[in-house]
Amino acid sequence: MRKNITIAAVVALAMTTAGCTTTGDGGMSGGMKPPSAEARALAEKLTFAENGFVQEQPMQEGGTGRDRLTQDETQKICTDVALSGKPIDDATASKVRALAKASIKYPAGGIKLGDWEKGRVLAWSGFGFRTAHKPDNHKKREPGATCYNCHQLATDRTGGTIGPSLTNYGKIRGSSDEILKYAYDMIYNPNVTFPCTNMPRFGANGVLTEQQIADVMAYLFDPKSLVNK
Amino acid sequence: MLKKILLAIPAAMFAVSVQAAEPSDSPYEVLTELLSKNKDDLYLNQSQQNLMIMPDDPALFTAEEGEALFKEKRGPKNVSLEGCDFGKGPGVLKGAYVEMPRYFADTDKVMTFESRLVHCMVTLQGFDKKDKQVKKRHGSGSDMMKLTTYIAMQSNGMPWNSRLDHPKEKALRDAGEVMFYRRSGPMDFNCATCHGQEGKRIRASVLPYINNPAEWTKAVSWPATRVGQNNVRSTFHRVRGCLYQMRYPNLKQGSETATALISFWTDAARGQPAILPDTKR
Repeated sequence: MRKNITIAAVVALAMTTAGCTTTGDGGMSGGMKPPSAEARALAEKLTFAENGFVQEQPMQEGGTGRDRLTQDETQKICTDVALSGKPIDDATASKVRALAKASIKYPAGGIKLGDWEKGRVLAWSGFGFRTAHKPDNHKKREPGATCYNCHQLATDRTGGTIGPSLTNYGKIRGSSDEILKYAYDMIYNPNVTFPCTNMPRFGANGVLTEQQIADVMAYLFDPKSLVNK
Repeated sequence: MLKKILLAIPAAMFAVSVQAAEPSDSPYEVLTELLSKNKDDLYLNQSQQNLMIMPDDPALFTAEEGEALFKEKRGPKNVSLEGCDFGKGPGVLKGAYVEMPRYFADTDKVMTFESRLVHCMVTLQGFDKKDKQVKKRHGSGSDMMKLTTYIAMQSNGMPWNSRLDHPKEKALRDAGEVMFYRRSGPMDFNCATCHGQEGKRIRASVLPYINNPAEWTKAVSWPATRVGQNNVRSTFHRVRGCLYQMRYPNLKQGSETATALISFWTDAARGQPAILPDTKR
């Protein structure tokens, strides 16, 4: 009898989630059991254990391995969403959006496009901020923007599919102030539009400089850019 | 041509010796059967080239060298590893690899295969952890990779079945699951960023999905020859590579933190046949 009830509950759950394709980016699948408080406590303990990750390892941006593992508010919320196995709820989404909005800083002279050819190099480069056993040396080489890892851009190179295709980005959308701001926000902190997205916060987390963002934007929008050819 | 024949002879000899030990197929046959059941799977079917290499996988030679090392009297105590208990009794290798990580009463710890092998080399054979035989963990030329490939191969084709009987086994598996979804670092990545959806690619590479056990068994079937690196690589080598791309600090080999992650990822392949050794990009 009890087994029957359990099966019925699972079927009902499957039905309610069947029409829903998103479970929050990078999250558990619907119907999986959320972890216990004990599991979460042990995961935190192991994350910061002295004999686990190298807590004192120096990082390129300054600070240590421990700092990299320490979560900010957005990361904590988005971990909870991932562990829930459910799509993000409206209240949580609003909170993540608000945190993102507060994080975005705009260039003093307004949003401008930089050099698309430099942007192309940045978009292709996966270099930068990697540490583990072989830390990237930022003094020898500029960190990249890693765009091609997840996005298709100019089609002469193969991009990933974790993010949507950005081929012909500017050609399709034009370059109004509104779309420039939208794209700038997406690069600076995409959680403002897609709360708990897989995409990194390149501006808010200090991965890209203001100039680098302008160059990547040029790669997306400049009519001469290979993205739009 | 001559090279091909020379490669084929030891591979054929090896296939015979494995058959004698177990009604098992070669790793190539295990994989092709998995592929035949999952014909449309993008991850599993992404490399015909690797499949063609597999019957002559250099890892088969690495395993042969491992067998010799396993049986050789070595270390300050001049004993072989045949007395090592990988969880199924001293010297029992068949099916041992796919049941790890598991709890060991003699150390009161959940151990990965790698940490258990180190334990035996130190306690049984008398090696020091700093001796190169133990310390050198990566590359087909290392004793550790030779031994690992040989021992893992004795579980080829068997279903992944990491133990979850002891409370410590279950606790680490569950903590590993939380860590898989825990987001941090400058890129906000967790493991699920890449492995939380099916059929997605990083650049040209199709990624395995954690909730698809048929994909996941190939994902966790290490040791495997990484064709692009021309070396046999281990489970930990893969985990380290992921953490590197995730912009995480270095993870210490043999740590409980590593065991937790490996416990979860092995559990995710439960019941699916292990491909040992595998061939990967």
